[in-house]
Amino acid sequence: MTSRAQDGAPPVLEVVAIGKRFDGVQALRSVSLQLHAGEVVALIGENGAGKSTLMKVLAGVHQPDEGSLRLLGREVRFADPKAALAAGIALIHQELNLCDNLTVAGALFLGRELRRGPFLRKRAMDRQAVAALARTGLEVSPHRLVSSLAPGQQQLLEIARALHGRARVLIMDEPTSCLTDTETQRLYAVVRELKAQGTAIVWITHRMAEVLELADRVVALRDGEHTGEIAGADATHERMVAMMVGRQLRSQLRPAHPPGEVALVVRGLCTRAFPRASVDFELRCGEVVGIAGLLGSGRSELLRALFGVDRAVAGQITCCGVQLGGHDPADAVRAGLVLVPEDRKLQGLVLGMSVRENLSLATLRARGTFVDGAYERDLCVRAIADLAIATPHGEQRVAVLSGGNQQKVVLGKWLAAEPRVLLLDEPTRGVDVAARAEIYARLHELAGRGVAVLFVSSELPEVLALADRCLVMHQGRVEGELPRQRMSEAAILTLATGKGVA
Amino acid sequence: MKKLLGITGLLLAVFVVTTLLAQQADGSNSFLTAYNLQNLLQRVGMFGILSIAAAFVIVTGGIDLSIGAVVCTAGCMLPWLLKDCALPPWLALPLVLLLCAGIGLWHGILIVGLRLQPFVVTLCGLLLYRGLMRWFTNDQTMGLGSDVEGLRWLANGRIPITASFGFPVSALILLVVAVLAAVFFQRTVWGRHLFALGRNEEAARFSGVATGRLTILAYVVCSLLAGLAGCLFVLYVNSAGASSFGNFYELYAIAGAVLGGVALRGGEGTILGVVLGSSLMQVLAMAIVIVGSGNQLEFAIVGAVILLGAAADEGVRRLLRRRR
Amino acid sequence: MRTILIAFTFAFAGLPACGREQASSTKGAPKIAFITNCVAEFWTIANFGVEAAKGPAGVEVSVHMPPNGTAEEQTRILEDALGRGAVGIAVSPKDPENMTELLDRIADKAILITHDSDAPKSKRLCYVGVDNYEAGRMCGQLVKEALQNGGAIVVVVGTLDQDNARRRRQGLIDELLDRSMDSTRFDPQDAVLKGSKYEIRASYTDQFDRQKCKAIAQDALGKWSDIACLVGLFEYEPPLLLESVRSAAKLGTVKVVAFDENSETLQGIVDGHVHGTVVQNPYEYGRASVELLGKLLNEPDAHKRAALLPPGGFLNVPARKITKDNVAAFWQDLKQKTGKK
Repeated sequence: MTSRAQDGAPPVLEVVAIGKRFDGVQALRSVSLQLHAGEVVALIGENGAGKSTLMKVLAGVHQPDEGSLRLLGREVRFADPKAALAAGIALIHQELNLCDNLTVAGALFLGRELRRGPFLRKRAMDRQAVAALARTGLEVSPHRLVSSLAPGQQQLLEIARALHGRARVLIMDEPTSCLTDTETQRLYAVVRELKAQGTAIVWITHRMAEVLELADRVVALRDGEHTGEIAGADATHERMVAMMVGRQLRSQLRPAHPPGEVALVVRGLCTRAFPRASVDFELRCGEVVGIAGLLGSGRSELLRALFGVDRAVAGQITCCGVQLGGHDPADAVRAGLVLVPEDRKLQGLVLGMSVRENLSLATLRARGTFVDGAYERDLCVRAIADLAIATPHGEQRVAVLSGGNQQKVVLGKWLAAEPRVLLLDEPTRGVDVAARAEIYARLHELAGRGVAVLFVSSELPEVLALADRCLVMHQGRVEGELPRQRMSEAAILTLATGKGVA
Repeated sequence: MKKLLGITGLLLAVFVVTTLLAQQADGSNSFLTAYNLQNLLQRVGMFGILSIAAAFVIVTGGIDLSIGAVVCTAGCMLPWLLKDCALPPWLALPLVLLLCAGIGLWHGILIVGLRLQPFVVTLCGLLLYRGLMRWFTNDQTMGLGSDVEGLRWLANGRIPITASFGFPVSALILLVVAVLAAVFFQRTVWGRHLFALGRNEEAARFSGVATGRLTILAYVVCSLLAGLAGCLFVLYVNSAGASSFGNFYELYAIAGAVLGGVALRGGEGTILGVVLGSSLMQVLAMAIVIVGSGNQLEFAIVGAVILLGAAADEGVRRLLRRRR
Repeated sequence: MRTILIAFTFAFAGLPACGREQASSTKGAPKIAFITNCVAEFWTIANFGVEAAKGPAGVEVSVHMPPNGTAEEQTRILEDALGRGAVGIAVSPKDPENMTELLDRIADKAILITHDSDAPKSKRLCYVGVDNYEAGRMCGQLVKEALQNGGAIVVVVGTLDQDNARRRRQGLIDELLDRSMDSTRFDPQDAVLKGSKYEIRASYTDQFDRQKCKAIAQDALGKWSDIACLVGLFEYEPPLLLESVRSAAKLGTVKVVAFDENSETLQGIVDGHVHGTVVQNPYEYGRASVELLGKLLNEPDAHKRAALLPPGGFLNVPARKITKDNVAAFWQDLKQKTGKK
């Protein structure tokens, strides 16, 4: 996997000493970067390191405060994304931003429709759409609604849209974060094809495997600064982590704790998604249990039903001796059971509120009718220190924090409730390596203090590293249980696909 | 506080412009007299309560279009209970307020229990309650007559401060309501939860906040306050006709709240702002009579100034952001 | 919470029992629709006239009051009345200029008369009512009596869209400025009109909002210290004008001249706070309209029908001035007609 860029050929895009400030925070500090045609550059860094900001500067969403951009040697300035797109730079966002009420062809041509006077040339667009989609290997009818496509297909549609705009530089922000394995493989193939055609690609990712698979060069950012660059061939996991974090991480393996008494008993629980599949299991104090399974296997639904956000169809839940059933989250919290939800921005946090207000949201009610200001301030200071939340002060709006720090706020909110049973749904999705390690350490510590931890994760390495035992779900029921000694990716996958031994 | 700069500035500007224009128009008169001020405060008292009512539901991200119809209901029921049923005021007033709170409870249950949209529920309420009142009163004007002067003190009374100026009782009632509402919003856990669910109902629910009960509470408080204002309105004018009483008042209420910085998307706003916003509406209405001859332009001017207010507000916000 | 819900349900269920039913049916008789231009006590009195006349006339009458007082509502009510098989219609048109075509269409299918406010350009057979211009001039005479030495007045009116409101105001203005009789004149709303003795400082509309009516009157009294008289041209307005005068502590210095017979207006005349009022005869509008329609419906021959109409197609129900001298007798008579003690 060698770079096609010859020494001496001018870079397609050159970033020279760019700086960018928001609200007094230096998001980028004199970052320089060169992109050559037919090259894949992986951009790595913790959340909040400035990767997204850099990409938005390239794509014309933000304008740099200092430094300059050079396109094929000429200095350029993009007033808006449209100008960048016209110059051949396309950004594919982390969150897919297609209008999903449009048809595939409609989305592909959005903003640059073919028309005759005020009328759309639908047939011509459909024809061209088929050709454009074929370049990315996406074979769907141009008449299908975007909303009916799988996430992977939508991702490919976004790429087709960028390429159709004759993109010379394609920037992809965590493109695989919501793709299945097969979809990811497909995307790799498309990226290799584009690379062969001379497109320069910037690939932002958290996943080391992707870097090793695709990248010609690896560039790391930390705190808005360029902190290292290595050739793809030389990249190793340790070297990349060192560039990103600048220090060695603590070991992720936990000391084994003997499980204590039973904390949570679930008997015959049926969720709405799978009303005919019932779930039984027990959870002991001091235990860390992972729930693995494919997407849509009923893992999140199980946690939601336990916490009382969704009504269970049937079944009994006993938490620390308290019978729950037909309960709402407030009852669960009183019984000592809390949930760190799957979608941090929608379910975990009130983004418009401050760190302080979010931290105290779940526990204020128990402290009387009037807001206990002293308690709230104290909690805020303690949580920021204990969880090492990177925020200038507690009054900061939580929306501007990075993903990892937001997740720490959610965790802090629930730790304040002093739970006996802690449920977590995808606790480290979109969380950078350092914050991830801190969250793991915190979970170990809680288990050591006797809290029962139950988490759902789609990342098998996470399950393998963290869990004492693992429940594997398939179509709403627990297909099998693996003790630590027998846990392996192969064993989990066998159960997750429904091939478990009864 | 910074958020209120725009509205405060606009209010002062209207005061200054009106004072200057009034002097120019007629040298012998001025806008800022004790007489005008006490009339103004009296009306702000009534409309301010309406805007606070609207603020309660708007903060949850909802809307109440039935405020005017609830004003009508209270305005017709109070005279009916007092005159036709000959109930004593201390019984009639709480009964009317209870009925209005019941209407709010009904809205809340439909919105939370059946998951109907607030817009739809209260739009139907707007038609329903006024229609019921017209049928109930047989389209007769419901008058209070002259033997409830004691109760009318609530709307028309003044607490003498100087020889020429008395502080209107209705403004005093607003003051009490506003202080209670402000304490509720800013000092109680319920207020905090109300703002949280207005911003992100799902996250509030996932945090164990009883979002359903709180939403219902907001609608109950809204209709209760609208009912209180309705009672004051009918005491102010002494009679009510079901077909026209309180028509469009929901729009005045919502405009006052929004002008005062309550965001329609929910989770944002202060009671002080709401009171300032609804004051601006009343100052404008008065200024138009004081400055012009005839009032044909009233709605046009009110519309233009609200637009100006919204633009000024946004301008101030941007200025503050840039300075940071 | 459940308790409150139950209480609320009962409260609602209890309402019908307290309400008063409005029904009038004589089976098999020809159907007549009596349509007003808004909802007001004035029309309730007219309703009593209708009730009194329908038996003798041998007709079935339905009374319709447009709740918001708009021309659109009235149009709908008119069309619905035809749909329900009304053969005789008496209407007080909201917007006669623009409703002519509609009224002509109605007149082709049913016997149409106007009452209270006329639509002279339409094919209606007859107008039952007062000449509002003349009534306005009577109102002007009352102002002259009240202010013998002249002075400035302010006029408040619900709206100036209606023909009767415009004519009333114009009659008042023309009388005070000693102009000739000409009901086609129109002074714009924002005109300041100065005569030798009297001045019309301003005309305000309140769009039927009582709170606004009172607020406007208060503000006008605050603006000009020399206002000598407030005139309210719509039924609900004089009591509110009286209240604003009272709250400004100008009872006695500022006179109130009224229109129509709101009971508080009459009480004001008895107490001496309202100088006088011009009353129409809504009871007679209702009675005479139904009586006339009954006669016309009993005559199948269209030619002979013409002979039944009053001369010029105008059944004059004259307005009267009520002052302290005749208020007691008038009020007594009114109570008798409306069946109130």
